[in-house]
Amino acid sequence: MAHSTELSHHVPEEEHPTTTGINNRKLLMWVFLSSDCLFFGSLIATYMVYRGQSLVGPYPVDIIDVPITTISTFVLLCSSFAMVRALAATNEDRQGGIIFWLLMTAFLGAIFIGFQVYEFNLFKTEGLRIDTNLFGTTFFTLTGFHGAHVTLGIVWLLGLAWVAKKGRLGPRTALDVELAGLYWHFVDIVWIVIFTLLYLIGGFDTGPAVDPSLVPHSITGFLGLI
Amino acid sequence: MSSDPGVHESRHPTLKQYVGIAIFLFVVTIVEFVIILPEDFRGQGWTIAPLAILSAIKFAAVIFFYMHLKFDNRLLTWVFLGGLALGFAVVLALVGLFTAWTPSLRTFAEDHAKPCTLDHELGGCLEDRVAEAHTPDPDPPAEGADPVASEPASPPAAAAGGLVATGQQIFLTGQGEGAATACFTCHTIEGVPGAVGLLGPDLTHIGTEAANRQPGVSAEDYLRQSITEPESFVAEGVERAVPGLMLTALTAGLTEGDVDALVAFLLEQK
Repeated sequence: MAHSTELSHHVPEEEHPTTTGINNRKLLMWVFLSSDCLFFGSLIATYMVYRGQSLVGPYPVDIIDVPITTISTFVLLCSSFAMVRALAATNEDRQGGIIFWLLMTAFLGAIFIGFQVYEFNLFKTEGLRIDTNLFGTTFFTLTGFHGAHVTLGIVWLLGLAWVAKKGRLGPRTALDVELAGLYWHFVDIVWIVIFTLLYLIGGFDTGPAVDPSLVPHSITGFLGLI
Repeated sequence: MSSDPGVHESRHPTLKQYVGIAIFLFVVTIVEFVIILPEDFRGQGWTIAPLAILSAIKFAAVIFFYMHLKFDNRLLTWVFLGGLALGFAVVLALVGLFTAWTPSLRTFAEDHAKPCTLDHELGGCLEDRVAEAHTPDPDPPAEGADPVASEPASPPAAAAGGLVATGQQIFLTGQGEGAATACFTCHTIEGVPGAVGLLGPDLTHIGTEAANRQPGVSAEDYLRQSITEPESFVAEGVERAVPGLMLTALTAGLTEGDVDALVAFLLEQK
């Protein structure tokens, strides 16, 4: 035991040799993100299965507001850019830059969440709750879990900013920022899919008149993502 | 995706590349938005393919550049794309499973649909609760409580107990001239079949207790206010599972006559 503690004392973490040649933490992060694809895949599948099957309104066309969500999508894209700047600043050991870009990323993420809170509240006042119909159930579950991911990311970024403020982030600990960045970008790409599927494609679904043949169409459309 | 598997220090794109990717992502999003801008295009089947392709391009740009898979160990690319492929398999399997269902889910649901007023406090349908509450009742025409039929259907009850009987009916069904969440959902009255709710105060002796709840307020006025403005106060010194659950919305549908009947019924609970 004492032996190994001594070892870990002398060898910086990022220099542990691994059989894959990849840092274990980084590999774990990617495996996690990979598994998160399955998580969101199931929720997306549920949305698609129940798409156009609601017996009562409000239906997507009644309440989905594409322009507003396009703006919040831009905000999330901007936050991803801020994130890569934070990592670059860490690699270049620009302390002020690290804190600034980490906080900027968290701030933009918070704006995105603000948009979501506004949207959820608006939907609620317009009569769509999670138990109103199949659309409400699948919509709130999918976007809600995405929002929870973003929120977790914000907490993570703020924590990193705190560490950065103490001057503990730099080229040697760049992996800490990189991992948070991977998570953050992943949340961004999940939103890219959700935005396309729930807003641009599914956002104009009407009620009972919806053509059932649209559902198989959305499968072929989804194949295009591969 | 050219990368030396032996190298574990990842190289990163330059600032110029990052800015380029950001602008690219913006432009693609704008193009997506423009595709669905004309009202005639919205929700059209043909928009799905271009929108999906554009979103796939954005997806790839983020993972290969922002998440720098392009510059990283190739194993990571396979790890992620493997999970992504499995995710797609899940989506295809689930959607395939359900679309293979004939008739469609919607047709199935429509065929089996029954009226349901959501009970937001306890979940489920209020209609089910009313049916349950009435199973011990030997009188089958419990549906006589519906607004239109109530007058002609229950003349014997009305004659026997008048307002009190009507009040009991509203208490158990929520259906009078207007409609509300049935009181028994949350309140118990011993001796009244079906009135076994546990969330709110026990109303077995409310007829005597009501007079002493608020100084200077008669039992009748107290009950009336408790029904019509339940959010204006929460009675103290009363045991209940969940305080503050009684919302104005629960009783808002009652008419004045309904409230009179309920008050008459509750005053009898001594």
